[in-house]
Amino acid sequence: MIYSAIIADDEKELRIYLRLLLNEVWPELVICGEAMNGEEALHIIESERPNIAFLDIKMPGLTGMEVAKKAAGICRIVFITAFDKYALEAFEREAVDYLLKPVSKERLVETVRRLRTNLASSSMPPAELSEAIGRALAILPGKTSPAFLQWIRAQQKDVVRLISVDEVDYFKAEDKYTLVMTKGGESVIKKSIKELSRELDPNRFWQIHRGTIVNVSRIDAMSRSLTGRGVLKLKGRPEFLTVGRNYLHLLKQM
Amino acid sequence: MIMERAYNPIRRYFGVRNFFKMLPLVILYDTLIAGFLTITGIDGSFLISLIMAQCFGIPIYTLIVVALRVLNPEGRFGRSVVICILGSACGYIVGSLIGPWIIYQFLSIKIIGFKAFSIRSGVFALTFGIVASYVFYSIAHFQVSAKLIQKERFNRLSSEKEVLEARLRLLQAQIEPHFLFNTLSNVLSLIDTNPAKSKSMLSDLIQYLRTSLSRTLPAVTTLGQEADMIRAYLDIQAVRMGERLKYSIDIPEALRKFPFPPMLLQPLVENSVEHGLAPRIDGGMISVKASETDSAVSIEICDTGNGFSMIEQSGIGIANVKERIRLLYGDKGRFTIEENPPHGVRASIEVPRNDL
Repeated sequence: MIYSAIIADDEKELRIYLRLLLNEVWPELVICGEAMNGEEALHIIESERPNIAFLDIKMPGLTGMEVAKKAAGICRIVFITAFDKYALEAFEREAVDYLLKPVSKERLVETVRRLRTNLASSSMPPAELSEAIGRALAILPGKTSPAFLQWIRAQQKDVVRLISVDEVDYFKAEDKYTLVMTKGGESVIKKSIKELSRELDPNRFWQIHRGTIVNVSRIDAMSRSLTGRGVLKLKGRPEFLTVGRNYLHLLKQM
Repeated sequence: MIMERAYNPIRRYFGVRNFFKMLPLVILYDTLIAGFLTITGIDGSFLISLIMAQCFGIPIYTLIVVALRVLNPEGRFGRSVVICILGSACGYIVGSLIGPWIIYQFLSIKIIGFKAFSIRSGVFALTFGIVASYVFYSIAHFQVSAKLIQKERFNRLSSEKEVLEARLRLLQAQIEPHFLFNTLSNVLSLIDTNPAKSKSMLSDLIQYLRTSLSRTLPAVTTLGQEADMIRAYLDIQAVRMGERLKYSIDIPEALRKFPFPPMLLQPLVENSVEHGLAPRIDGGMISVKASETDSAVSIEICDTGNGFSMIEQSGIGIANVKERIRLLYGDKGRFTIEENPPHGVRASIEVPRNDL
């Protein structure tokens, strides 16, 4: 029985190297395609329907994981990775095949032996194999996004600039938009005060009014006006900010 | 062994500058005494009392200050009291000798009945001397401790700043294992097929590692060294990504010697490549450019990658660069991140020329 495989890796030298190694340890294996990104890999897998896919995890377009999710029913998957602590733990636990870069011959011989036994028992990948891959992928942490907003995209004249939230003195609602007040000037963003209050670190930013969020580290002084309302003064800013009745409790702790 | 003279605020305090700074206060105090003696009728003439009071007061003050500076009691209260009493006594003797003489010279009045060593004048001199000493001691003490507190605060702030900077630098000097293993894989695969290329890749890696690992030490580096490291990194990535990565580095020869903190540019370049260009199927271009004005040096890193999402993905890496520029340059340093249309990021760092 002649088996076929594809190699997907965005790095050309590594594709060539794996092909050479495979040729050495498993000369009868036909390499029916090489892909340099995720989309290409999926395309080749669907058209060529190989028995095995060697997939690099980190690829432009679709990642190896995303390709595997779609191709697990078609062929057996061997992941290739240089270093990915979480992925390796998941693969070990679910007994998913993987190769570590740089790929060593001994490890490849072992992988090939397993693949051959698997393929000999049934030409179709067993359902539990694709399930195992699914489980391994599920326990991987998703793209980690920072817990709180750190950067704000703001239009300044004709350029879009990233402003670090540390630079912001305060945010102020203005019609549909929000003004970002910094030492260097003001800029407009589309995010509403409501969205900002959810995304900003509540230890560093306090909403003091329906339409105002201040950077706590910039607060200079707080006092009560004659009418009993709270007013805030920020460091290095001339204006006074009004504290809404519902937010006065925040300032009690100062 | 070199003996270092410890910072002594008391000794410093009793210097020439402070002596003259406080002198008007002494003269004022003497004048008040003269006024008091005249008003209470103890002495008949205000003018004579005034001259006498200055003749006592100024020598007493001078002797005490000189004694405190020379003998340096360093906060031992008993000794300070002894110095003040002895100073008052000696000053009093000096005053009672030169006072009548000055009055005779300028006013042609001979003081009759002035007994220099009478009990009454001795008690007055001692009383006023002690009051004055106490007031001046309090002022000095207050000012010295204020100065000490200030100095302490300054020391603490600057050491906190250094610790923070060192920690941030250490964070940034960490080498991504993914990058390391991928590069080694490439070297391994090239050994048979293209030995020359594998050799040059390996030497780039060595340079990259050597510089990266030495960056945890607080040494001053130059813009040229940073550029060399970035070039080594980009050369490696160019082998890995092939046609997908194009780059240019343009640092004028004159700016290569400019002192520049390590690990500021490199995280930006690595971010651009890892998160901006590598995920794109057709890759892109990155350029590093330095320029100067009379007062500042600016470096710009432009890429045609995926845009701001790469910075949002980078987590603390870029925020770290920002924080370090603030720590190192204060308000004089600038760090901006802009969109590079149609897609990509333009990061610029501007630092003052004559700093660091």
